[in-house]
Amino acid sequence: MPAMSAMSAILIPDWVGRHSAIASAGPQAGRIEGLWWLMFWVSTAVFVAVMVALGGAMARRPRILGDSEPPHALTPEERGRMNRLVGGAVAVTVVILFVLLVASVGTGRAIASLSAPHAPIVKVTGHQWWWQVEYVDAVPGRSLTTANEIHIPVGRPVLFRLQATDVIHSFWVPNLHGKRDMIPGHDNEIWIQADRPGVYRGQCAEFCGFQHAHMGLLVIAEPPAQYEAWYKSQLQPAATPVTARQERGRQLVQSLPCALCHNVQGSQASGKTGPDLTHLASRRTIAAGTLPNTRGNLAGWILDPQTVKPGNHMPANTMASDDLQALLDYLEILK
Amino acid sequence: MSAEPIERGRVAADADAIAEDRRRLEETWKFASGLWGWLSEVSHTRIGKRYVVTALGFFALGGIEALLMRIQLARPENHFLNADLYNEIFTTHGTTMMFLFAVPMMLGLGVYLVPLMIGTRNLSFPRLNALSYWVYLFGGLFLYAGFFLNTGPDAGWFAYVPLAGPEYSPGKRVDIWAQMITFTEISALAVAVNLITTIFKKRAPGMSLNRIPLFVWAMLVTSFMVVFAMPAVMLSSLMLALDRLVDTQFFNPAQGGDALLWQHLFWFFGHPEVYIIFIPATGIVSTILAPFTRREVFGYLALVLSLVATGFIGFGLWVHHMFATGLPQLGQSFFTAASIMIAIPSGVQIFCWIATLWTGRILYRTPLLYVLGFIFTFVIGGLTGVMLAAVPLDLQVHDTFFVVAHFHYVLIGGAVFPLLGGLFYWFPKMTGRLLSEKMGKVSFWLVFLGFNLTFFPQHILGLQGMPRRVYTYLPETGWGDMNLLSTMGGLVLTLGVLTYVGNMLWSLMAGPAAGDDPWASDTLEWATSSPPPPYNFQYLPTVDSRYPMWTRREDQPIVTGLRTDRREVLVTDLLDAEPDHRDVLPGPTIWPLVLALGIAATFIISIFTPAGLLIGAVPCLVALIAWFWPRGDTDLKVLKERA
Amino acid sequence: MRQRAALDVSHLPTTAFGSRAPLWWGAVGIMAIEGTMFAIMAASYFYLRGDAAVWPPTGTLHPGLGITTLNLVILLATALPMHLAAKAALKDDLSGIRLWLIVSTVLMVAFLAVRWMILQRLTFLWNSHAYGSLVWTTAGLHTVHVVTGVIENLLFITLLTKGPVEDKHMLDVRLNSMYWYFVVVSWVFFYFIFFLDPGLLARR
Repeated sequence: MPAMSAMSAILIPDWVGRHSAIASAGPQAGRIEGLWWLMFWVSTAVFVAVMVALGGAMARRPRILGDSEPPHALTPEERGRMNRLVGGAVAVTVVILFVLLVASVGTGRAIASLSAPHAPIVKVTGHQWWWQVEYVDAVPGRSLTTANEIHIPVGRPVLFRLQATDVIHSFWVPNLHGKRDMIPGHDNEIWIQADRPGVYRGQCAEFCGFQHAHMGLLVIAEPPAQYEAWYKSQLQPAATPVTARQERGRQLVQSLPCALCHNVQGSQASGKTGPDLTHLASRRTIAAGTLPNTRGNLAGWILDPQTVKPGNHMPANTMASDDLQALLDYLEILK
Repeated sequence: MSAEPIERGRVAADADAIAEDRRRLEETWKFASGLWGWLSEVSHTRIGKRYVVTALGFFALGGIEALLMRIQLARPENHFLNADLYNEIFTTHGTTMMFLFAVPMMLGLGVYLVPLMIGTRNLSFPRLNALSYWVYLFGGLFLYAGFFLNTGPDAGWFAYVPLAGPEYSPGKRVDIWAQMITFTEISALAVAVNLITTIFKKRAPGMSLNRIPLFVWAMLVTSFMVVFAMPAVMLSSLMLALDRLVDTQFFNPAQGGDALLWQHLFWFFGHPEVYIIFIPATGIVSTILAPFTRREVFGYLALVLSLVATGFIGFGLWVHHMFATGLPQLGQSFFTAASIMIAIPSGVQIFCWIATLWTGRILYRTPLLYVLGFIFTFVIGGLTGVMLAAVPLDLQVHDTFFVVAHFHYVLIGGAVFPLLGGLFYWFPKMTGRLLSEKMGKVSFWLVFLGFNLTFFPQHILGLQGMPRRVYTYLPETGWGDMNLLSTMGGLVLTLGVLTYVGNMLWSLMAGPAAGDDPWASDTLEWATSSPPPPYNFQYLPTVDSRYPMWTRREDQPIVTGLRTDRREVLVTDLLDAEPDHRDVLPGPTIWPLVLALGIAATFIISIFTPAGLLIGAVPCLVALIAWFWPRGDTDLKVLKERA
Repeated sequence: MRQRAALDVSHLPTTAFGSRAPLWWGAVGIMAIEGTMFAIMAASYFYLRGDAAVWPPTGTLHPGLGITTLNLVILLATALPMHLAAKAALKDDLSGIRLWLIVSTVLMVAFLAVRWMILQRLTFLWNSHAYGSLVWTTAGLHTVHVVTGVIENLLFITLLTKGPVEDKHMLDVRLNSMYWYFVVVSWVFFYFIFFLDPGLLARR
């Protein structure tokens, strides 16, 4: 609606298209956005009405009490008029609240109704402080594991299975849908659909400790063909080193502490407690949406992750400059 | 229900007899002197003032913490505070403001004002009152001792498990939080029982239920909410402490426990808690309105019923803090309906107050400005509250800065504004000195504008996706400008609070004398000197309207026949406040302080070893026996002499 | 001589029983607080039970219906002498009060002894699982109440023996009994929950 986007433009000039609950890119967020604008305008009207009443009271010049009157009493006429006004205001309030209740419950039903058979299933597990992403497919060999970056096909509902194994996290991509908590012992589900291709940022919304602030993720909605291509590429094992330096890099991944926590499919690194690195180079960010995935950032992160994200579970690594370059060479081919 | 004071008679009222009565009252009720006396004090005015001053101290600490957070968030990727310190600070800020400032401040005002407003000499249980204060003080000091020893809690003020559990919060930080909760809850529960009993049984003859001042009604409803809400958090913090200390499994899903049990228990307390803070504030608003509009507050019955309704409905909404946990749809709709419904009594109150302003002649003094500011901000906070009750919208803005903005509108706009107005209003009564009106108005405008500048932009930040409790954010999120604006607002707000405090300090040193009744008010606390004498009223008053000071007749009867050589007060009946019997109150004693120390020792030692419960029980038992053991000095009928 | 209107209260008594007395309201307040706490404990029990596939956890044996019921009977029996003590207080019958307080205290101690035996028979500890945590914590909280009751009775007995006893102590004695009824009744619920629970009985 033009009036609404004009309003949003006045409030915050450049929020459309950003990480925002009222720049919806999917049916769920869209319905909620509609509810938001309904409530926003109703609330604005109520607020203005109350302030007008208050302003009227302040502007009035009421009768001056006579000496013979008790200093506080209202005349019967005043009392009757006020009774009617207050009663009327309460009645209007009740009606408005009822309308909002109906709108809220209706929206709730609508956003709960999204589902589809044979939808892609993405299992997301919240960890302190990153997201493990597994695509679950009934066909053997069609399941895959990645981290912090979720690709979905545009225009199709996707089922997200949400869980946590350490503390409570909350999965939230505001442009697509409201949040849903990931609670140890309580698996949750949420359906999401993106109607427009794009990169949507999400962030953990339940305080989960030290680095709650740096627990971001990206949801990348792509046309189905592109999505399929991405899916196929992710199913491949890790790229094989071509140069000697890359081979040296792979050796390092397998021998340094890396392998204790990280997995690179097709190598001897098969740790499970950190993000899967098989296709690290295909991802846009590192450290859970914290840094762009560039060679420099990667180097800084490997050497000193505690400066970028103090308190995270990755230890600092000291290594010779040659080794670092070899390691980076290898990681960069993990498309 | 209307009760005319009974058995009226005449007494001699010659100056000598009056002076003699006063001399004896002063002798019997005199404040204890010296350090020992200060520690033994049981006077409700003294203890009430201690509550107010202590709570203001914690308000200052909580405010400094807020400012530190705002400085950290002013720019993206700021390095003013590190993650660890930020987490400690936001947890301590929330904990301080809820448990050490807001609740004790409101209850402390009740402690100070209720006996005066209902026309009696002290609370029903003066020594229990002293105990409540000490336990509260020790709880607060304990939290800050931990904070300054780098053991401040860091799992948020609602300490969700498993994050707050033994595995993910090793060390003692969360233990300190859990025990501090128990300290402050014991204190609040004791005050609540004390207030309920006092309001039920100690009202001036003639103050039937339908003549109780609205502030006293508010304290009564609040006290009942405390009684039924706080046990939930005492129990849950006990469970948390046990999980951490002796490996119970209440919240461990691997052993049949459940993380959501914590959330249910905490919010069953936590939501009523909001009303425990807000309802006294509505009492303050109603109290201020009458003298500054020179009219009765419109809709007394509607206001009282709204308070009671709020008290009941307040227990039916806790799940709206848990919509994102994925509860069944039907349950969610129920809690949405309840959460929306509570807007009705709030609306009734707002409309009644506006009607009062509409019919009255408004005197624009500082307390009234705060009431007007309250209406402005509270309406906004109430409306965003309705938005949060809608599940779909809540799923978007829950745990974001939108919620932060909402509850600061409700708690600062809805409770702190009336509180600042109320303190301005009662300051002359408490100290005998007037505040500067000019500084008062300056402080109001700074606070009002600073507040809105701080918190309004946070609504937008929440919609833009900024989660709460993040110590920093990335530049590309685009949250920088609104955060900077918010931080600047915080500085203005700080300036306003400093002006307010400066006004108080100035008045204490050089303020003009207030006189008994500087605002020409309607309630009984203004019927005595400022500050009140230790016995509050030389003769307990009688009441025959809701506005006793405005309808006081030339020959309004006084209560006579209470003994002045011991601390005797009048007990009246619950409904009509008819005189029933005389009660003898105890005087100053050190034992409540000793018991509070024993309780503190119990809690602190039991953080380290379960044996703390047994070790601490010894001093507690000794103190209790010494407290209650009769000394035979009450001059009551003796059934058996000392052997 | 100048006169003014007055309401003379000098003829009113200085003590009163029941809801007339402020202290009665204080005792009711404490019972409301602790009753709420016990109710929330029970609610937590049912909440966790609702989550569980097997409840109580496998391997849990009943400590014995006989001994647990016997202990309930002992607890209920303590209420009678407490009631008689309260009645004696109405008549300022100091020796009667003392007698009945001694009788009830003996029964309370017997109750504690049997409870000790029951706890010994439990096949789990507080740290075994959430069920164990619930049972032990509830029993622990209740035991604290019983021990407090014993201590209060001992103090009253001492006071009645040594003096000085004032008429206000009669109210204290009656409120002590009233509070004790509360301690008794609150355990009745947990007896049903813990020891008559169908899930548990089925597993005997």
